[in-house]
Amino acid sequence: MKKGLVIIGAGIIGVMTALNLVEKGYRDIVIVEKKYPGSGGSFRCATGIRASFTSLEHVELMKRSIQLWPLLSEKYNIPYARHGYVWLFTREEDLEMFRCIVDFHNKNGVPTRIVSPEEIAELVPTIKTDQLVGGVYDPLAGKASCFKALLNPLAYILRKGVKLVESTTVYKVLIESGRARGVLTDKGVIEADKVLVAAGYGSKKILRESIGVDLGLRNIPKHALITEGYQGVFKPLLIDWETSSYIVQVLHGGFLIGSSLPEEPDKPPRSRLKYPVKAVNVWIRYFPWLAYTNIMRYWTGYYVMTPDHHPLIGPLSTVENLYIATGFSGHGFMMSPAVGEVMANYILGEKPNVPLVEHLLPDRIIKGRLVKEIAVFG
Amino acid sequence: MPGSSYRIVEHPVISFKRGRRVVFYYNDRPVEAYIGETILAALYAAGYRVFSYSLDGKRPRGAFCMIGKCGSCLSIVDGVPNTRICIEPVREGVRVYRQEGLPTAPLSKNVVEPVEWEEAEADALIIGGGPAGLIAAKTLGELGLDVVVVDDQPRLGGQLVKQTHRFFGSREYWGGIRGYVIAEKLAREIMGMKNVRVILQGYAYGIYSDNRVGVAVRNPLKHVIVKPKMILAGTGACEKTLWFENNDLPGIMGAGGAQTLMNEYGVRPGDEALVIGSGNVGLIVTYQLLQAGVRVKGLAEIMDHIGGWFVHAAKIRRLGVEFYFKHTIIKAIGSDRVEKAVIAEMDENYQPIPGSEKVFDVDLVLLAVGLQPNYSLFSQAGAAMKYVPELGGLVPVRTWFMETSIPGLYVAGDSSGVEEATTAFIEGEIAALSIALRLGAGNRGVLIEKRRKLLDYLWKEYRQSPVVSRARMGKLKVTVSEEEMEKIRRGEA
Repeated sequence: MKKGLVIIGAGIIGVMTALNLVEKGYRDIVIVEKKYPGSGGSFRCATGIRASFTSLEHVELMKRSIQLWPLLSEKYNIPYARHGYVWLFTREEDLEMFRCIVDFHNKNGVPTRIVSPEEIAELVPTIKTDQLVGGVYDPLAGKASCFKALLNPLAYILRKGVKLVESTTVYKVLIESGRARGVLTDKGVIEADKVLVAAGYGSKKILRESIGVDLGLRNIPKHALITEGYQGVFKPLLIDWETSSYIVQVLHGGFLIGSSLPEEPDKPPRSRLKYPVKAVNVWIRYFPWLAYTNIMRYWTGYYVMTPDHHPLIGPLSTVENLYIATGFSGHGFMMSPAVGEVMANYILGEKPNVPLVEHLLPDRIIKGRLVKEIAVFG
Repeated sequence: MPGSSYRIVEHPVISFKRGRRVVFYYNDRPVEAYIGETILAALYAAGYRVFSYSLDGKRPRGAFCMIGKCGSCLSIVDGVPNTRICIEPVREGVRVYRQEGLPTAPLSKNVVEPVEWEEAEADALIIGGGPAGLIAAKTLGELGLDVVVVDDQPRLGGQLVKQTHRFFGSREYWGGIRGYVIAEKLAREIMGMKNVRVILQGYAYGIYSDNRVGVAVRNPLKHVIVKPKMILAGTGACEKTLWFENNDLPGIMGAGGAQTLMNEYGVRPGDEALVIGSGNVGLIVTYQLLQAGVRVKGLAEIMDHIGGWFVHAAKIRRLGVEFYFKHTIIKAIGSDRVEKAVIAEMDENYQPIPGSEKVFDVDLVLLAVGLQPNYSLFSQAGAAMKYVPELGGLVPVRTWFMETSIPGLYVAGDSSGVEEATTAFIEGEIAALSIALRLGAGNRGVLIEKRRKLLDYLWKEYRQSPVVSRARMGKLKVTVSEEEMEKIRRGEA
């Protein structure tokens, strides 16, 4: 097989990149997936979408994403809603710190605001606010179905001629005279003019094998559970800052809970038995009725962290026609529409639509020029 | 119709011992019930047939599995939605509402009941108190080991409690005795052992690192973390359904669901029935329907021959039940319950032959079309699994001694591949003896000899019968030697 572009990984990033290319008329693409589409982080994610970050790079990328989400939703029938986020604070010092962050957001076009416990009670029906000193509300934030967001565009691009190869492991990118020329898989070689590595944590091994570069990725185990579905109770995604936990009623009705537990990076999670108890205890303080819902599923996944918690997006300076999009540090799903767009820009030799993403080129890890971000939850 | 009684008063085999009479409320109307039965059984006896609506609120759903597996009876009990009323015991005055579509969250519940927390150690944990689990508990208990038995139902026995027929096979392996009698006897024996602890209405939700097992217990609420040295999971199986038009109409029920109603609770599942499938379950349940006073208007079998034991078929044929070979159901008709069912003859590609349709006026269609092993606990634990159609679906790979690829996790009974209660007893005992040997209990030579005899009987006698050859072939596909299992564990196989 000889193709224009090989995308390694049929996660949300690979699919959104292919979608943008197809929409621009570039269809000579094969996506190679180790298991099945969405089987990595995409189908395990919290489905939240926000621009309220603490670095300009993230803010700009996410502002673009939030412009794109409603358009994608319309075009590909993806459930999406701008239902907001609310950060909940139980300690005065946290609220104080967030005053500066809200200023930063407001200066950069993200309309967050400090809210009182009374306002929180209005935004979040049934919440018990007695332990709260206040919160931050982000009305621009939202949520989408992670399943439809991946599967509907995928079905579309497959109809347009993109190929998908499932259950196939890529060992390495083949490089000749400083240029990518395809990939070696467990089922043979796929030749291509260009290669995009969008394989999550798997990108680390592929790039080490291919060019001997370590991207510094770490896989941090994370836990999530979802209850059975119920009619809508509250709309925003809530973050309990003190325990680094979140809860969101997803658009099909289940309450999805993530909560941080200490785990060793790059290893399977060890705290699985502790997790449901921790998750439930955090949130029944706010919603006692939650104790009477049934947990439907409980799963683990990984945040693929980079040293500066910012993704690695763009071409590599050392190898021609080799592109990278990984290390989203827990934010890949929400960023995927904008990332798909800028990756398509790069692959077609255009300037990225969001200029600041040039700060996120993968070279920065190798050269040690890091970007700062503190807001990583769950 | 609500108001008329479907309670069985006289039965040739069973005498129903009903508990104290109580009254509870369904959609604000009083319903009579007896302590010891489930909410759904009481409602069914009173003539109710629709117990919930599909998520879009449009399609009525009736009773199907009756053992808490299928979710078609999700109701609001005491303000708590998504309660499976087929396994929820009745209580005086409890208020129950039919759930119609996506439920509202239980917002009226504003106080969190305290949940007791306990860490329990045990030599062996047995998950599932059916035939395999009961015999294993007895075996291990008699050897003096500390045993915990967890079952998600309100009583022990698994599906034995609804088996009113006498089992086949050697007397040594329970031949000639009725299933529910065996269940009562074994349950009584293990309940009487000081070193065996039984946790009912306990849901073993996961097997985690170091084989610790989380158990969520209802009535009273409790969270138990069991740290056993060895685990035997005999989680059983659940009924399959068929694809045909209106296959979700109330009155279309798994054969086992009907057995629960009539044999366990003494409630007649309908007036006139059509049975689909002539395996042993279909044949036995047809006979039991007749015993319960239901008119069976026909038995459809897609193959050209009987699937189960000939002696069962002969018995119901003598009682006048018509068999329709090469036929299956293609459609059910009715508004909120089955009124008619249509079967058709199949061609060589199993497609209906136009013009061959036969219409039956029935209010009950029983599907006896096989079972699927409850595999999820094994998958969750990370055991090596294999899809084996002959065994009903996904099952864990195991050694001849019933150990899975997770060291210390054993499997037995239908969850190891759908077969019969007799084989569940034998597999359960083989697993228990293997666990005892690993733990150094009892007289080693005696246990090994006992296990060898069981293995011989199972593989060289019982499973040699041509009627069970399919199950035998299936089990051979997933049974490996200790050496092969070691390879699987190391990822080499």
